[in-house]
Amino acid sequence: MKARITLCLICLICSPCWAEKPVFDIEIKNHLFHPSEIKIPAGTKVKLIIYNRDSTPEEFESYALNREKVIMGGRKATIFIGPLSAGTYPFFGEFNPRTAQGKVIVNEI
Amino acid sequence: MLLNSVIIILREVLEAAILVSLLLALSFSLRLGARWLLWAILPALLGIVGMATFIDTITDAFDGAGQELTNASLQILVYCFSLLIVSVSAGLIIANNKTSLLRWLMALAVVCALIREGSEIFIYVAGFSSAEELRAAVFIGSGIGASIGISLGVLILSGLHALTPARTYQVTLLLLSFIAAGMVMQATILLQQVDWLPSGKPLWNSSHLISEQSITGELLYAVFGYESTPTTIQVVIYSLSLIGIALPWLGRNSFWNSKHVD
Repeated sequence: MKARITLCLICLICSPCWAEKPVFDIEIKNHLFHPSEIKIPAGTKVKLIIYNRDSTPEEFESYALNREKVIMGGRKATIFIGPLSAGTYPFFGEFNPRTAQGKVIVNEI
Repeated sequence: MLLNSVIIILREVLEAAILVSLLLALSFSLRLGARWLLWAILPALLGIVGMATFIDTITDAFDGAGQELTNASLQILVYCFSLLIVSVSAGLIIANNKTSLLRWLMALAVVCALIREGSEIFIYVAGFSSAEELRAAVFIGSGIGASIGISLGVLILSGLHALTPARTYQVTLLLLSFIAAGMVMQATILLQQVDWLPSGKPLWNSSHLISEQSITGELLYAVFGYESTPTTIQVVIYSLSLIGIALPWLGRNSFWNSKHVD
């Protein structure tokens, strides 16, 4: 019984981290992001899965989001962003910054 | 492509060059020479090539968190080695062979920093030089970027070296403390990126004062780990890391001062 209560408590404490976060897919093709704008709700942590469909590597980078990650050609990468306040957060591909530009738009629910 | 290569390589090289220059300046002020830097080169190269080669496996490990965990570990190791360097040189850790221990610690710190920065350079150069039309621009741009970065490192080194040895020792330990604490903060961000550490809303936003993209912002980032929108956990971890590494040499300085007063 005691063990069961402990287990329930652990589940309760950890449930926020285990709860499924909204997932958003982004593709990199010809050094462009598709979609180049993603809309996410404010105050929510979301998971981005970025698929690099090019043969060359790319680095997903954002100063506003404090994120950077190398994604090899033909591979995918996962990153978490948020919780964020309403606003626009630009990101870019560091290896092709002229074309690979995008933004995360955060809206109040 | 050319200009972009210059910028990418310069950013990575500069971060490593600042740490190497500081450790060299510290080493000269303690009369330890520069030979330990040679010991670091081969393991660093092996690490860079190894990490770039197995980057796919590393990235997919730990449910997609492998790349961040590897980089965060390297940065935390740089902090640990810096902490040991400060503690040993301040006489807090008593060692039989202090000079050789310090040389090894400096070499290890440089190996970790070079793997972190170097693997990204390797991935970039290897990835884009395979396309024939880009090859010349990537190689020339990278060469220019690396040269500027190394020159700036040499400039910092000669600037520090121009001071008296006692002053060089103090200034380098101070800067090393900030750089090492900045490394821990970068590691914190990486762990937040893969949801291994909780995130939150930023504590402040100073991007309108100093943008992280400006040259000032980049330099502040390289030395102090500057972030324009830090979260609470980043600020707490940064402060604790800074206090942790500053205590040994602050203790040493007050010990010095008290002796001078007598």
